[in-house]
Amino acid sequence: MNVIEIKNLTKNYGKSRGITDISFNVEEGEIFGFIGPNGAGKSTTIRTLLSLIYPTSGSAAIFGKDCIQYAPEIKKEIGYLPSEVFYYDNMKVKDLLNYSASFYKKDCSKRIKELAEIMDLDLNKKIDDLSLGNKKKVGIVQGLLHSPKLIILDEPTSGLDPLMQQKFFELLEEENKKGATILFSSHILSEVQRLCNRVAIIKEGKIVTVEKISTLKENNYKKFKVETKEPLDANYFNLDGINNLTVDGPITSFLFRGNINAVMQKIAAIDIANLWIEEPDLEEIFMHYYEKEA
Amino acid sequence: MNIFLKELKSHRKSLIFWCIGVFLMVASGMMKYETYKSSGQSLEDMIKELPKSLRAVLGFNDLDVTKASGYFGMLVIYLLLMATIHAAMLGAAIIAKEERDKTSEFLFVKPVSRHTIITAKLLAAFVNIVIFNLVTFASSVMLLNQYSDGEDVTGNIAVNMAAMFILQVLFMVIGTALAAWKRRPKNAASQAAGILLLTYVLSIAIDLNEKMENLKYLTPFKYFEAKNIMDGGGLDGVFVLISMVLIAVLTAVTYLCYRKRDLSA
Repeated sequence: MNVIEIKNLTKNYGKSRGITDISFNVEEGEIFGFIGPNGAGKSTTIRTLLSLIYPTSGSAAIFGKDCIQYAPEIKKEIGYLPSEVFYYDNMKVKDLLNYSASFYKKDCSKRIKELAEIMDLDLNKKIDDLSLGNKKKVGIVQGLLHSPKLIILDEPTSGLDPLMQQKFFELLEEENKKGATILFSSHILSEVQRLCNRVAIIKEGKIVTVEKISTLKENNYKKFKVETKEPLDANYFNLDGINNLTVDGPITSFLFRGNINAVMQKIAAIDIANLWIEEPDLEEIFMHYYEKEA
Repeated sequence: MNIFLKELKSHRKSLIFWCIGVFLMVASGMMKYETYKSSGQSLEDMIKELPKSLRAVLGFNDLDVTKASGYFGMLVIYLLLMATIHAAMLGAAIIAKEERDKTSEFLFVKPVSRHTIITAKLLAAFVNIVIFNLVTFASSVMLLNQYSDGEDVTGNIAVNMAAMFILQVLFMVIGTALAAWKRRPKNAASQAAGILLLTYVLSIAIDLNEKMENLKYLTPFKYFEAKNIMDGGGLDGVFVLISMVLIAVLTAVTYLCYRKRDLSA
């Protein structure tokens, strides 16, 4: 069953581009990544799903119901964490969370306590006095306190320290095990890779590809940078799957896709001073997809 | 219900300040009345001799300012201005603030329709306005009775408060309609205040220039003037009707525009 079905969704802001003809589905029980650079249209898509804005054309359904027409009904089962959290400043954390809970017709007080404990959040502080990271924690608790069936996260990790990110991901995985579907929007590939089963890649308002993470990884380039004492001969790494090789004095760098052992043996055979192997950043993955299309 | 209570709570402090303000306004105004009263007939004659335009600018009308109720009739325009500024700003702010403070992503992802949210907000603003009106009423009755020498002032105050109430609701929905309609809701409060100032200036211009008499339909400040409604004059049915129609239309505009609105991030 599809929890989210997006069909030919288009949103224009006056003359400027929003999103164009976006279609993809999110299946029940999966953690679906939604990835793209800033300004690609991730938030626009999400805000349309939540009927904060209305589509120019196309439609989207959540739980099989039109997301505009049945908005109040489907929102009972949606938890949302915006990329930037803003709350009524003159409220205490506790009051805000209780206010949030008062919209759902169930008792959330126990869950609020649990979540606050996991996220190490002081309920008695004023929201005014919280740091960015702590506000984000309020957002997390606020988004999860009613145990929603669909969790929508828009760049949720910004402002969280690594320890909290870790706890947050564990929390999400736990919710997912309990049956929640998660739509996870991000521009950070590593966190999407860590959590998600499938991803949709969006660029300039259009979906570039919808792919399983495992497939994406197989097709992935790795960035190699090797530092040697003596400059290397440019033909030394004469292997299949090597691209963009440049030799700049002692530094040799290239992109590689394929069996990593072959490259490692080549590297092991020379005397190196330093070595960097990096996952490519998003732009490079996009390049990869555009090359494939061309 | 929860939104309604939340709105009441978040506007409570500002309402208290406005109420203190209006009380002080009536109090300070009535303190000056002491001077008018003691000067007796001579002042009345002097005011009558002033050119009409100067009287209009100074706010004197045809009421007898040596009587407590007549003096209050002169004062009432300042209370009206205060009440309508409060109402217009409140109306604009209560709708616009979710986007202004970026809390729209909190409230509008909750399982409630926009219609429900607007209704709760309008009701909360309405309650604020009623309280403001009642406080003004009570302050006026209390303070005027200190100076009235047995003159029965309650009826004259009541009719002014009824007029004030209509104008308050009118300017409140001007504020809400602007906030719902405009792309940048942040500016709604200042625009509502601008409209208010413009219509007020127009009302003075009409006082100064008889040829502009027909423009009185354009400015709510000419609808229920103290000199016309006091001492048994009552509210003019035509203007009550115009106000009701305007209020209904602007309320509808508020709902319709907000329903279709793309909420800014």
